[in-house]
Amino acid sequence: MAEKRKVRISDISNPNIYPLAEVGPNNTIELPPPYDKLENLPGFKKLSESARQAVDDSLDGVVAVGVPKPKTPEEEQELVEKFISGLIKLFSKENNWTFLQPLLLTMEHCAKCQTCAEECPIFEASGYEEIYRPTYRAEVLRRLYFKYVKPGSPLLKKFQVGDIELNWTLISRLIELSYRCTICRRCAQACPIGIDNGLITHELRKLFSQELGIAAKELHEKGTVQQLLVGSSTGMTPEVVKDNVSFIDEDLSERLGIKVESKWDVPNADYLLIHNAGEFLSWPENPAAFAILLDAAGIKWTYSSELVGYDGVNYGVWYDDFQLARVAQKHFEIAKKLGVKGIIMGECGHESKSMGIIAERIFGNEIKTINAMTLVEQIVFSGKIKFDPERNNFPVTLHDPCNIVRLMGIVEPQRRVLRYLAPKFREMEPHGVENYCCGGGSGFAVMTPYNFLDWRMHISGRKKFKQILDAFKDEPPGPEVPKYVCAPCSNCKGQIRDILDYYGAKEKSGIYYGGLVELVVNAMVDLKEPFIDFSMM
Amino acid sequence: MPVFEWNEIKIEVDEDGFMANPDEWNERVALALASTEGITELTADHWKVINYLRDYYKQYGIAPMIRKLCKETGFTLKQIYDLFPSGPAKGACKVAGLAKPTGCV
Repeated sequence: MAEKRKVRISDISNPNIYPLAEVGPNNTIELPPPYDKLENLPGFKKLSESARQAVDDSLDGVVAVGVPKPKTPEEEQELVEKFISGLIKLFSKENNWTFLQPLLLTMEHCAKCQTCAEECPIFEASGYEEIYRPTYRAEVLRRLYFKYVKPGSPLLKKFQVGDIELNWTLISRLIELSYRCTICRRCAQACPIGIDNGLITHELRKLFSQELGIAAKELHEKGTVQQLLVGSSTGMTPEVVKDNVSFIDEDLSERLGIKVESKWDVPNADYLLIHNAGEFLSWPENPAAFAILLDAAGIKWTYSSELVGYDGVNYGVWYDDFQLARVAQKHFEIAKKLGVKGIIMGECGHESKSMGIIAERIFGNEIKTINAMTLVEQIVFSGKIKFDPERNNFPVTLHDPCNIVRLMGIVEPQRRVLRYLAPKFREMEPHGVENYCCGGGSGFAVMTPYNFLDWRMHISGRKKFKQILDAFKDEPPGPEVPKYVCAPCSNCKGQIRDILDYYGAKEKSGIYYGGLVELVVNAMVDLKEPFIDFSMM
Repeated sequence: MPVFEWNEIKIEVDEDGFMANPDEWNERVALALASTEGITELTADHWKVINYLRDYYKQYGIAPMIRKLCKETGFTLKQIYDLFPSGPAKGACKVAGLAKPTGCV
């Protein structure tokens, strides 16, 4: 293979290098047969000429955000100025009180030892493309911070970190580059001195959204904006979500021969249950299993039909602190109004992060959140429900959602449940806080514009697919034995579904996926019919 | 916005190939969109799915639950995939002229 030209930090502002890096399908992470032949897989979709005219693909030929090209030099200049003023705001206490301290520590103290590079599944899957090295985008920001924000002699600062030219080429590429990291924060965990390159991705996206008005459409316009306006990022109004939930209740009651009964707006219930609303539309068994389990445990729970109250997603956590706060505040206001003691966060990683880690500290004086993993564990071991683990007599492995496991440290509850209720449970390697991201983190699972899906499947998701295949390698390889990937997070489920579809793994290997509660309910002795029906998955 | 052309049809689509203006949909447009999904002929079964999606979309402004689609049309998920290889959301909704589903679905 020809030696690749090494991309330097300063190259990011050089428009003559086009694209900055070339990325495509590759076998750096080798998959076992029948997935080992690259030629059997769809490659990267070629962008149409009109798309290439309209949006910037000069980073790596891939387009996630679709940064529009400025129409005039004045417009371009205005954006550069907005970027500089936004950069200064990012490093000021009054404008960024939330994340300033770790951001400054990250800017000042990285020793560039590259321990983080070893940890990044995207860097590896790309064939070690420089631009995906966790320190690459951090280093670009560091040079800009030294040049435009940090006081001191310009000459000395240039000597300390190296120079960089700020122009629109840099900004436009940096916008796309801030959407080539899933913020899984495996790099941050490995850093010997606590540098957080995942935070850099987050802070950059924030700057672009809050100051330049540029964000991924799926997260902003179709995400938080739509959620605040109609009630859910899915577009479901209260009327639609109630109609859907009553359909789920009826459908499952009919199929299972037991009563599935969801509750709406019950005042003074113990808990308000908030799912990622995508569950209702795409994985209705998940909310149904929650309803069955909570009722069986004698917990008084309710849904809310207020706008935003039935959709736990908060895409703001990935790209914009203002949108994050707007959505988070609604969740807690609604819970308080209902008079519940706490909020049960459904199986959703970023909901758990935004609500349980960030918002609870600000709005949660009276209302506490509880994560589904912890609650399900309590219920399973409470002795109130009888289980027959043999009903889950198929191979099961567990995916660790980054936000629930690495970020929140909820590692064991879901494992205790699986060790008890899934006799053929086996771990992925590595797992727990060492586990790899599904590849759909930070909103990628809902983003498919242009050729970004190809990038998600070949680059960000490849490591996870290998982990899944390896976990089942002692089983018959074909579809005759159904294999279950337990992924207790809506976003991860979306990504894993796309991976299994893309590689044809359901047909070829019999690999299915679902949440944790479905396995729990499937083992309940009270159910006459199996809850998990592979023919419907 | 990219323009998609097929025979006499010329429509604006988004970056995922979904119609930018779902009101411009008609049966010829469906056939045009189907061609992007590798479907050469729309059978009665295809139309059953398309018509249900359109009726639901007209009433509620979004795509229906996949399970509801299966139950109301009588098709299994596998049959829907056989009809629309990229599945109910990315395939069937696109051909039916719906906007791309949003949120974590």
